Amino acid sequence: MRRVLETGNFAVTEAAIMAGCRAFFAYPITPATEIAESMSKFLPRVGGVYLQAEDETAAMHMVIGASLGGYKAMTATSGPGYILYADPYGWAIGCEIPLVVLNAQRVGPVSGITGAPGQGEFYMSRYPTQGGNFETIVLAPNSAQEAFQLTVEAFYLSERFRTPVTVLADQLVTDGWEDISVPETEEEKAAMGLRFMERKVHPGPNFYPPTDEIDLPPVVVGRGRNVLCSDWTPTEEGFDIETVEAQHKHAYRLVYKIRNHKDLITRHETLFLDEDPEVIVVAYGTPSRVVKTAVKKARAQGQKVGMIRPISLWPFPDELFKRKAAYLSVELNYDGQMVREIERAAPRDSAVHFYGKCGELPTVAELQRVFDRLLNGQPLARDGWEMEAW
Amino acid sequence: MDALATKYLRSRKIPSTACSGCGLGQCHKAVVQAIDELGYKVEDVIWATGIGCAGRQTYATWKGDSFAGTHGRVYAIARGLRVVLPPEKKIVMTVGDGDAFSIGFNHLLHCVRTNADMTVMVCDNLGYQSTGGQYGWTTPAGVVTDSSPYGMFDPNWVQSGQDVLDILKAAGATFLARHVSMDGRAMVESVKKAFQNRGFSLIHVIFPCTTNFANAALGSRNPVDLFRWIKERAAPLGEEKPNTIWRTGIYHDASNSRPEFSQLVWGKVAEIRGRYAHEGTH
Repeated sequence: MRRVLETGNFAVTEAAIMAGCRAFFAYPITPATEIAESMSKFLPRVGGVYLQAEDETAAMHMVIGASLGGYKAMTATSGPGYILYADPYGWAIGCEIPLVVLNAQRVGPVSGITGAPGQGEFYMSRYPTQGGNFETIVLAPNSAQEAFQLTVEAFYLSERFRTPVTVLADQLVTDGWEDISVPETEEEKAAMGLRFMERKVHPGPNFYPPTDEIDLPPVVVGRGRNVLCSDWTPTEEGFDIETVEAQHKHAYRLVYKIRNHKDLITRHETLFLDEDPEVIVVAYGTPSRVVKTAVKKARAQGQKVGMIRPISLWPFPDELFKRKAAYLSVELNYDGQMVREIERAAPRDSAVHFYGKCGELPTVAELQRVFDRLLNGQPLARDGWEMEAW
Repeated sequence: MDALATKYLRSRKIPSTACSGCGLGQCHKAVVQAIDELGYKVEDVIWATGIGCAGRQTYATWKGDSFAGTHGRVYAIARGLRVVLPPEKKIVMTVGDGDAFSIGFNHLLHCVRTNADMTVMVCDNLGYQSTGGQYGWTTPAGVVTDSSPYGMFDPNWVQSGQDVLDILKAAGATFLARHVSMDGRAMVESVKKAFQNRGFSLIHVIFPCTTNFANAALGSRNPVDLFRWIKERAAPLGEEKPNTIWRTGIYHDASNSRPEFSQLVWGKVAEIRGRYAHEGTH
């Protein structure tokens, strides 16, 4: 095991190379630029290619091109680039191309604050393109170490499910300097729970049957397999067609290959859920670290609070929200994005509260005050500009 | 099916899904003829398309690997693919005028800048015909379309003094040609030269759309009327007449004069890898 003091950006680079990524294309953007920089330094040393694209749209398309040529490929960006991925993201979903995207969320809308953490792409990572008729896989690390592990996992899942996987980080995860353990032996990798999957090659010439199967090899061109893939609704042979029957079969595959194998994807961390919590705090990414401290402290004082941290964000882990309790979503945004998913997943009459800030973390003391109010049956409301609450 | 079609194309797409009288088949024929004369096999060529008529009616026609990219971005997919593809594999793209010269122009220019090895045939039906016949950036001045009912007045990429091929030449393209789809043999020869250039090649081909363009511009869907209309406005380079819009022939040939993109990239990667071979990754 090698221990380094490094950024999350560096951890992602290490992980991608370990997972077999040999092509990385991106457009510089804060706070994901350092991934591009470290990729440009380390990829050529292991025989990989790093190139800067003319824009994010091109970067993501080039990643598709490299994956289509049989390489494991990746890109990294932040919100203003993630929106430009929308077009190729859809193509990769529809053509079932494995690839990995890292989004270091900053504060929006638009350019917002470039060097501060945000959580504005919760829903956008679920619907990263137009058209619907698909499920997406999104993993959300809360530390540099976890960014390392989830980047490896993202490559693994993208290969098995033949689909793009987003690692939804935030500026503190990518820019923050932390103690990172990099496993070096196979035993160390296994002990860390890392999973790897080599690229397989579609036998061609047909596209895919209308089944929920995973582990079907992705389409690779240049291998003499006479494969087809396009932006149009495909027949099972891969020809373009405009019939709802073909569309239903295509949509079934895109949705159910993920829905029916959700147990392979789902990861989470929970605290005190079996100890009768009256308030369950929900957070992902960096805020979850403050929440964890606050919840432990509150428990130590006898307060009945618990915590759910979804690590896989999409498909959303509905099954974690079966308890009757008051839920509190703590997010780095003002609009309360995850609140709606919790409302949907939780028992019908559950109260779902929100505490959100833009660009800065809540403090343990702030959260303690929020817990006190909720546990005393008092309403939660915004008090000044520094946060939003209900 | 003729012998070439049997050898190289998928029977499901023959006859073509294009409209009766469409000139797209002439474009396809020239590419397939060139492939055959150069002795390439089905597995040697990856045929990509974009959207619009040139995309939809071409996709999956080639018997080998074939893919259709998003609107205007197939150049970026091809550039990423080119880098990881074995150098002996050929990429050919048949794309529309809107795809290449409008929505995808930025990405096209970066393929040109890097001299990425690919042959792009811009199949130009003089506007957006698959959406019903709106003007594009190669619609000649004065022409009536569904969205230029008073005649095309928006400056375009083929008018005197601003030929789109000049931009591509200045950006570093190593092979450029222009034809009308009825050029036959001359066009096949240009495509062969394009394939033999280890770098970025583009052939701009004007082809007739009898369904939408001819109907609005000429008031006739008779293919002969439109074929004649196009031929009258085309002339070989150096033989231009006052009414010439399209100057045909090989416009610029600097084949194999500068490093091809993926060669450049992998040469550098090999050099860096060699330098750090004894130091590990870090």
